[in-house]
Amino acid sequence: MKNQANPWLTSNLFLLGLGLLPAAILIGALLYFTAWAFAFSFTDLALVGRKSVEWNWVGLQNFERLFTRRGFLESLWTTVIFVFFSAIVGQSVLGFLLAAVLRGSQSTIRSVVEVCIMLGWLLPDIVAAFLWSATTSQTGLINQLIVVPLGFPPINFINEYALPIVTIANIWKGTAWSYLLFSAALDSVSREVVEAAKVDGATPFQRIWLVQLPIIRPHIATNMLFITIWTFTYFPLIFAMTGGGPGRQTEVLAVFLYNQSFSRGNLGFGSAISVAMLVIVGLLSLVYLRMLREPK
Amino acid sequence: MESTGTSRVTAIALAFMAVIWISPFSWLLLNAFNPMSTGQLEIPRAVGLDNFALAVSGNAGRQFLNSMLIAAGTATLSVIVGISAAYPLSRLRIPGRNAFLWTLVLLRMLPSAGVLVPLYFAAQRSGLLNQLGVIIALTVLNLPFTLLLLKNFFDTVPIELEEAAYVEGASLLQIVTKIVLPMSRAGIAVVWFYSFTGAWNEFLLPLIFARVQDAFPMSVGLYAAFGQQGAINYGFLTAFSIIYAAPAVGVYFLLRRNMNTGFAGVGVKG
Amino acid sequence: MLKRGFLTTVAAMSLMAAAAIPAKAEVSFMYAEWIAALVEPGIAAFEAETGETVKAIKLPGQGYDQRIALDLAAGTAADVNLMDSFMVSELASAGYLEPLNDLASGWDQYQYYLPGLLEVASYQGKVYALPTDTDVRMLWYDKSNFEKAGIAMPWEPKSWADILDAAQKLKDAGVQYPFQLPAGIKQGEATTMQGVYMALLGADVPEGDRNRLLNRETNQWIGDSPALRRTFDLYHQVFVERELNPADLNYATDIGAAVRQALADGKLGILASGSWEDACLWDCNNPPSREDRDAQVGWTPWPGSGEPGTKTTTNISGGWTIGVNANAADKELAFKLITSIFDEANFKEWTLANHRMAVRTDISESPEYTADPFLAKATALAADTTGRDTVPGYQTVSALIQQATSDLLDGVSVDEVVQGYHDALVDEFGEENVITYE
Repeated sequence: MKNQANPWLTSNLFLLGLGLLPAAILIGALLYFTAWAFAFSFTDLALVGRKSVEWNWVGLQNFERLFTRRGFLESLWTTVIFVFFSAIVGQSVLGFLLAAVLRGSQSTIRSVVEVCIMLGWLLPDIVAAFLWSATTSQTGLINQLIVVPLGFPPINFINEYALPIVTIANIWKGTAWSYLLFSAALDSVSREVVEAAKVDGATPFQRIWLVQLPIIRPHIATNMLFITIWTFTYFPLIFAMTGGGPGRQTEVLAVFLYNQSFSRGNLGFGSAISVAMLVIVGLLSLVYLRMLREPK
Repeated sequence: MESTGTSRVTAIALAFMAVIWISPFSWLLLNAFNPMSTGQLEIPRAVGLDNFALAVSGNAGRQFLNSMLIAAGTATLSVIVGISAAYPLSRLRIPGRNAFLWTLVLLRMLPSAGVLVPLYFAAQRSGLLNQLGVIIALTVLNLPFTLLLLKNFFDTVPIELEEAAYVEGASLLQIVTKIVLPMSRAGIAVVWFYSFTGAWNEFLLPLIFARVQDAFPMSVGLYAAFGQQGAINYGFLTAFSIIYAAPAVGVYFLLRRNMNTGFAGVGVKG
Repeated sequence: MLKRGFLTTVAAMSLMAAAAIPAKAEVSFMYAEWIAALVEPGIAAFEAETGETVKAIKLPGQGYDQRIALDLAAGTAADVNLMDSFMVSELASAGYLEPLNDLASGWDQYQYYLPGLLEVASYQGKVYALPTDTDVRMLWYDKSNFEKAGIAMPWEPKSWADILDAAQKLKDAGVQYPFQLPAGIKQGEATTMQGVYMALLGADVPEGDRNRLLNRETNQWIGDSPALRRTFDLYHQVFVERELNPADLNYATDIGAAVRQALADGKLGILASGSWEDACLWDCNNPPSREDRDAQVGWTPWPGSGEPGTKTTTNISGGWTIGVNANAADKELAFKLITSIFDEANFKEWTLANHRMAVRTDISESPEYTADPFLAKATALAADTTGRDTVPGYQTVSALIQQATSDLLDGVSVDEVVQGYHDALVDEFGEENVITYE
């Protein structure tokens, strides 16, 4: 791997350090702000009113309440299901398959498919929510085009299948990112390697599985980390579509967090929820890190 | 190339997928071109551009420029700051750099709700309650992702190429600009585009940072469609969101033309 | 030479400064888009009269509450601000708002404001904002579905049993949403106001505020009471035990539009909502004629539960307000802007054009207002209305109430929900500020 004996690096340490400086300053700012968020989780800080000015330290009280009050554990389970199916299975696998397949496709098909998935990614969350609720409503696209013509009574999807619906909507909305990243990553795989594999008689499947996948493993790990984090904390789409309901069926942690921090106005408890989320995803990411480190 | 049989099957599968993927948009289009839009999925009795006329009237032009400024500014600043830090991070053996970058990314999980209040006070104290403040704040929030992504892409550039250039007498700056950057072009484009779309869709920061309503971007303008008691102007909403999403899609295609070159573009036989 | 030059410079500078002062002493004003029709003519009148300029910033309704709280906390807020009435006491308690009693004493139209509505915008005996409008709440019903279900009209339920009975008949007659009762977090304040509080007020006797969320004498929140249990049980009956309404309307992406669509499609039986519905009913783009509305839809006040000693009908009102920043540079001028906005002619025109309920007697008693049959009848309800518990903490309690209804919808038992609500109140306000009624 890289080493510091490279003279164009060692002789320019000052310049390299200079390059690090702006990022270091901004990271410092970020750390400063996140330190606040950490600190808030040990207080009873409120969003408005007197406790927004005169807050108190409350120790671990907020963290205890994660387990002694209804909400957190239920939401955690909902989140795990949502993240697993929409991000890891849906976006990641679909994004990779699309990237791998489209590389060999004609440019027109490729452009059309790209526009489709890109539009989902670029549509404002709130509009995507309207679009999906119109698609799944009782007078919506699926009922009008498929369910009713087949002779069934219209299905009230949001009432009966709320979590699967928001999961699908999120796959639709977010696959573009995984696709983009995997496309760029596959681009960085030298064609010589792929051609060599082809000459050796590898099938397309083998070329992907045995040649390209190992090379882009760091990108896969990074992507998994990113979309896990994003999906864990992502809330505008679910919030707009169902507000966490019916009841609490789609109340993922991000929605729960929002309700506690903003509707209820308890920033202290909200911060504790997010610190807990951080710990959970932190543990998860150790798995991804291992994926990154494995020798080639 | 693969046999025509497989590629035809793939083509059909892809086309099928595109149709499914795009079908929810029927709601968007039907409402946008329906001057009497109600938000239902229905065939319009009359087709017209009234909604688009409404969407571009008022402050939309100003808001478009603001969105462009914020999005392009954030993306460019993120990429510049990111590149100048990611290269040293990729090449120098700094202990624990991966763990450090991953920790930063993880820290971004803390909700913007918690960060928002101190962020707002800091911006106010330093006189940054304006567009520049939004750009800097978004860059700060993006930086963990930007750094980690760029470092990963730089890692895949073979160091042998840099060695060769050094032997031929190239300076560090030349090595970076002539070899590393072109070879990571696709990755840089992805990072730029990611920052661009993130900033393009950002709603809360510009809303609370702007001191005058002329500083609002399109993401704020979109909400003009929402009345008080939930009476939503769907015609405006759908037409506006098409206009709103279009520039970003355009940017993607402009960028893509420069993106998929990777190895082929830089004189390594591909 | 040098001296004269210096002096003239100073004189010129002070002249310029003097000339600049009136232009600089502008008033800033932040408001939400939906109220533009009321405030913009007022701003124009203010500018024409005083020669000052108003630095107006118009925001979408989305994110408005967050921005105003941050702005006031950071000292970056406008001089004059529009805000929801339930925020007033919170903001006033943190010292962000200017009391208006002295400023308003010199304004001849101040006397017309209804005292009950000023109280909503008050904190510790001082008025901190002036209301823009108010509302009343009632049960709307679809007449054709009532006919189909064989329920006598005009429908005048006397107790909750009558409502549930009607809902059961509607359900048996195949009506999809027999009793749309706002529930859950997504409905926000609508759950608290249109649903829980309307029921709660009639669930027990008013003495000692046994029918409220707060004991207003002692400022203690009520964590458990027969009224709360009865109200939660009503939700349990409607959504779980008797399945008198599917939950989905409460979680639609656009709840207002979904409810209107259900009404238009004849799928709705009873709708717990408020006076604003009259402005559009089933079609907001082409509001139906008065005759069409009266032919299709009727309304009746919410009855009490029927328990002995409870109120026969209930009502609660909300609304928005405009107030002055405690840090405004020129408070007199800021208040002058408010009086220009609320000047009778302008205020009356907006109130009538938007089917709002008047907050002032000079408007509510005007011939144009009383000539509107709906407004006149609805205003009669307002005579017996009550406000929200406008003390700091209401917003939190309201959110906890919404959460409690979410749990009820998920089938959690009333006992468990009351326990959870009580615990959360204690978490927020401390043991000493939460009481239980047997």
